[in-house]
Amino acid sequence: MIETTSILSPDFERDAPRELMLLSIISQSFFQPFSLEDNLLVILTALTSGSGVGFNRAMLFLKQGDRLKGEMWLGPRSAEEAGLIWEVLSTPGIGYVEIVEHNRALVSKNVDTLSTRLKGLVYAADDENALIPAYAACRKEILLVKDASNEPLVDRRFLNVIGVEEFLCIPLLARDDVVGEIILDNAITGTPISAPDIKLAGLCGLMAGNYIYSATLHRKLLDVEKMAAMGEMAMFVTHQLRNPIVAIGGFTEQLLKPDVPEDKKVRNLAIIRDEIRRLEDIIYQMGHFLKVSLKEPVYFDPGPGIASVLSSPEIQTKAKGYVLNVKLEPCLPEILCDPTSFGEVVRNLLDNAFDATPAGGAVSIRGYSKNRTSFVLSVRDTGRGMTNPDKDQLFRPFFTTKDKGMGLGLSFIKRVMDTCGGKVEVQSRVGKGALFKLIFISRERELTP
Amino acid sequence: MKKKILLVEDEKALCLLYEEELSREGFEITAVTDAEAALAKLGETDFDLIITDIRMPGKNGIELITQIMGLRKDIPIIINSAYQSYKEDFMTWAADAYVVKSSSLDELKAKIRQLLGD
Repeated sequence: MIETTSILSPDFERDAPRELMLLSIISQSFFQPFSLEDNLLVILTALTSGSGVGFNRAMLFLKQGDRLKGEMWLGPRSAEEAGLIWEVLSTPGIGYVEIVEHNRALVSKNVDTLSTRLKGLVYAADDENALIPAYAACRKEILLVKDASNEPLVDRRFLNVIGVEEFLCIPLLARDDVVGEIILDNAITGTPISAPDIKLAGLCGLMAGNYIYSATLHRKLLDVEKMAAMGEMAMFVTHQLRNPIVAIGGFTEQLLKPDVPEDKKVRNLAIIRDEIRRLEDIIYQMGHFLKVSLKEPVYFDPGPGIASVLSSPEIQTKAKGYVLNVKLEPCLPEILCDPTSFGEVVRNLLDNAFDATPAGGAVSIRGYSKNRTSFVLSVRDTGRGMTNPDKDQLFRPFFTTKDKGMGLGLSFIKRVMDTCGGKVEVQSRVGKGALFKLIFISRERELTP
Repeated sequence: MKKKILLVEDEKALCLLYEEELSREGFEITAVTDAEAALAKLGETDFDLIITDIRMPGKNGIELITQIMGLRKDIPIIINSAYQSYKEDFMTWAADAYVVKSSSLDELKAKIRQLLGD
């Protein structure tokens, strides 16, 4: 016998140990599509909500360069506000997602929140003579501070902001580096901070530190990928622009020489005009590729879109000298996509098919339902086909197997299909042409009475 | 006798421009648009110099240079590319000169003369 349990939402009883509840809340939040800031808020929420550790207030400092900066402070400003907040949070049926929502609203309020008071606090992160709170981060030790007014190591400015005598400093560590610090207190209830609270908060600090570390690494990685893509694009554009510019410059130089025969003048001017048109086309395509922001997908009948592309002058001109087979099932379902992008996708696929097929060859377009929820639009060409390495790179921007072309069409198609939850598949062998299949989410058309 | 140059350039307009300009300088130009055609021409004629682009459909210029080296033909090679960045690729160092494409052909002409000892 096999029993399965969901890995992401373990359902603990209300009387489960609070350590378990805390770990559950924090680890689940890391799987939500939350931003770094929201996930840090979840950690502060877990430290201050009744189901977690239950401190009254939690303050977060993050390390930025060599400074430790106050970022976020969660909790009520007064006993009165505490009463209101805790009443909301103890509403029956309220889950941690709602609590996070509530807290997000609390910290983002423009009025005098605790967070705004905290923002001005900045400390050197590696100063040997640092005062508390930076002292804890510099020493990489958890500190419980009592009778703070009489403790010379506590920074007075910080003491004025926090306004309590007892608080806990938890440095956030990741791979032996300090990435931040959390300060916890019980300003409203005045409950003394206990040894089990300290251990549990320390555990939370370890998780938060590692989370910040991996989230920061992830951001850096995305930046590096973006920079690499930009570099690749810049290199490609340089090449695309330089060739026509060199031709325009070179043939203009020839025109400036004395005694150029009339027929050569005309020829050179025609070449210059053609190269300028090419430049215009490159600039148009680049602009189109960079600006295209895809709209929300909606359900629509793809029939008119396909018909419109097939009857467009551009495709009609290209189709001359080819055999174009069109086979669509009689009652097309509604498909999920942005209708404008759908037209562009079909045009791009047909464009590629004609470019790949030698004159006189056949290009076929088919539309059929695979099942009740998916519709396939396929375009087959009878061109030279592709090798496997080519197939792997096909959807990368600026990759092309054509003699001419920017290599942006298929990457655009992939982006559209990803956005509407669809798929694009390609089957091809060298010398045997290629078959592109677009698989859309579909539903049966609503019949109008 | 005229020096023979093999020009490998996939851009038709540039091919025509180089062909005309270099012929005017007194060279005999054989222009092809891809590496395979270049290798075929090398089997037929003894060239004095090769000018090749890098990014071309099919085999690129670097693969072409590698193959020419394999043929043990001691012909000077000039890379003529729109990309400045390939200069950093050590595979291009096997060529005798690297000229970034420009509408002024002065640098290319000067390199040709230098390599042909004119």
